[in-house]
Amino acid sequence: MTEERAARLSLLACIEGGSHFWTKEVREYGAPYVVERLLDGFYGGKKNSADKITEHLRQVNIEKIIESFEKSRAIFITPDMHEWPSQLNDLVAPPFGLILRGEVGLLRNRSLSVVGSRNPTSQGVRHASEFSAGFADLDWVVVSGGAFGIDTAAHNGALAAEGGSIAVLGSGIDAIYPSGNERLFRALEEHGLFVSEVLPHVSAQPHRFLIRNRIIAALSRGTLVVEAAYRSGSLRTAREASEIFRVVMAIPGSISSPTSEGCNRLIAQHEAELVTSVGDVMELVMSLDDARMDA
Amino acid sequence: MALSRIRTIALMGLEGHLVDVEVNISEGLPSYTLLGLPDTALSESRERVRSALVNSGYTWPNRRVTVSLSPAWLPKKGSHFDLPIAIALLVATGEVSQDVCENKIFLGELGLDGSLRFIRGVLPSLLSAGKHSFSCAIIPQSNSDESALVRSIKSVTGSSLSSVVGFLLTGEQESESSPSSSISTNTNPLNLSDVAGQSLAREALEIAAIGSHHLLFIGPPGAGKTMLAERIPTILPQLDNERALQVNAIHSVAGVLHERGVLSTVPPFIAPHHTTTATAMIGGGAHLVRPGAISLAHQGVLFIDEAPECNPGVLDALRQPLESGEVTISRAAGTTIYPAKFLLVLAANPCPCGRYSGKGRGCTCSSMQIRRYLQKLSGPLLDRVDIRTFVEAPTRAELVSENLAETSEVVRRRVIAARNAAQERFKDCPWNMNSEIPPKELRVRFKAEKSGMTFLHNELESERLSARGFHKILRLAWSIADKRGHFIPSREDVEAAYRLREGKELFR
Repeated sequence: MTEERAARLSLLACIEGGSHFWTKEVREYGAPYVVERLLDGFYGGKKNSADKITEHLRQVNIEKIIESFEKSRAIFITPDMHEWPSQLNDLVAPPFGLILRGEVGLLRNRSLSVVGSRNPTSQGVRHASEFSAGFADLDWVVVSGGAFGIDTAAHNGALAAEGGSIAVLGSGIDAIYPSGNERLFRALEEHGLFVSEVLPHVSAQPHRFLIRNRIIAALSRGTLVVEAAYRSGSLRTAREASEIFRVVMAIPGSISSPTSEGCNRLIAQHEAELVTSVGDVMELVMSLDDARMDA
Repeated sequence: MALSRIRTIALMGLEGHLVDVEVNISEGLPSYTLLGLPDTALSESRERVRSALVNSGYTWPNRRVTVSLSPAWLPKKGSHFDLPIAIALLVATGEVSQDVCENKIFLGELGLDGSLRFIRGVLPSLLSAGKHSFSCAIIPQSNSDESALVRSIKSVTGSSLSSVVGFLLTGEQESESSPSSSISTNTNPLNLSDVAGQSLAREALEIAAIGSHHLLFIGPPGAGKTMLAERIPTILPQLDNERALQVNAIHSVAGVLHERGVLSTVPPFIAPHHTTTATAMIGGGAHLVRPGAISLAHQGVLFIDEAPECNPGVLDALRQPLESGEVTISRAAGTTIYPAKFLLVLAANPCPCGRYSGKGRGCTCSSMQIRRYLQKLSGPLLDRVDIRTFVEAPTRAELVSENLAETSEVVRRRVIAARNAAQERFKDCPWNMNSEIPPKELRVRFKAEKSGMTFLHNELESERLSARGFHKILRLAWSIADKRGHFIPSREDVEAAYRLREGKELFR
């Protein structure tokens, strides 16, 4: 393992993802230098969280972490590697590295994110799986989380159409969270890819799912919000996506359905394009290259 | 005479057992012994009887008194043995002759002043006394309205011990209660026309009433779930004499008959609070096995508001009675069976805070809370609930509309007509409600029209419908067909039935 990669792995182990400050430091000075400075206590007094990170950093055991990757059949990639999905670099705070498990090649394919409520209506479940199956039919990979509801329906749709599906997790790569979703995780294990920016065994915390949403948004060319309530994490994904100029789309719904309120809002405020079919989505996300390729 | 025998009735559930009260007065040191498995209330009868006798001007025998209640194995409960014990004592001391007490049964609790007090369970006691060919029952004055319902036995009411003795000695009574010629219909102040809007929920109520389909209302607080449920008895057919007597007997045992109105033929409406215990719901108690809410709701409606807030054990306890129409309660003292055939109506908010409907902006619940809330209900209990309907708050236009909605009378007429049609269809079947058609018969004898069946099979195939849902929709479709006067459910009937189960969406 190169010095750069080892340093990034240490930073990933100690710093919660999405930090603008640490990302900037790493970009400017390189990961090994940031690690060195942290260990020297350079940031003491400059950054509140630094002391804690330093303390944590001193206890990091790289060998043990690498061992845990092997145990969970995962690999660790960093931006200098050819596996790295370069679209993540559009983010203000791209992850220091990613932990992958499964069909790593899926990251090279064009992809679309399908996100939404954990408590959808049966209508929403249907839309999520039918759109995802449609994307899979046209050789698009589906990206989503691992939650109940729309996430699960999206993966199921893609897998049913024998397409690729990527689940970006907020917890460690080997955790099944929520635990009731074991069946989906087993299915994804065979044909899909798991992506995580935290070490294996790291527990699921609400804030990690919000931080993770930026990866879902950045990995794909567009984000489709199927059903989202007024306060929904999916709306955060949509915002992250539009900040890095990805296409944001939403399926409209009844004005008296709580799980369509978020989508209708996005459309009304011109934050998302209204889509009602797979064709609508394709018109928005296809580039000239795609058109040439498909022809 | 130093030995006497008086007859009375002990209730086990609704069933009355004949009990002999024997008193023997013998020489010896003054004492009082009560035999025959008495409970606490009955053991205390000694002091009541003694005071009542003395205060009514009789003398207490200062000798060895033995009171035996037989059959000795039967546990005896309650205070209505006071009067028979007192009369038996008076016979034993020679105040009253044994002969005048023959062919009579005695029921009543005594006050210390000798007055006769209200007791529970007079109605079922009289009904079973009537079967034993007694000529006359002597009961407290305050229970006279119950005795008016029973024609198989003449009842004599008395307000005090001395008036009862007076009747025995002279044959003259304070007042004789004559059986009322018919059970009068009392008017229910509630009417379905009070409810504004809610066309889907009204339809659900009517279908539920026709086929006796259990019902779940989901909706935000204040939308009218309770209001709708309370009005179900007004659209159900009135109880016939036999059923009314049975219902009243249960209420009599529970001691709540006066709340219901003795002469009422309105199907009961029982709404236990969601914090109720399993015992209160099902029935029970250490000695006197009291009928629970489900038996009080027999032939009527059991309404459980805020059902997900219920202790899960309580709701699950409903499963067996829902299946068998009766409940068997076993205690150390014995086993009691109460009828419990009721229409179950559950109401639930869409989430713990109740605001996850419409735009859902005010809802403060987490996604997991919403997910789990209605799941508290799911499983075997919901398997027995055919109709799941949203109740949204009425719109402003509906609230101010001056066109009153249909009245209960109109709806009830339709319900009765539809039930008659079903009865005609089921005349050679062991069931008589659409909700009771067994699955096999639904697939063979009671299918819907071909296009309706095709619709259902398509839904089955695309996995939007489970096999269980398939059967439920067919049963509902039969009730809808009965309502619309169709001979066999059409495709429209099947689709309407499908819509009545829309609330299933909430159970992911």
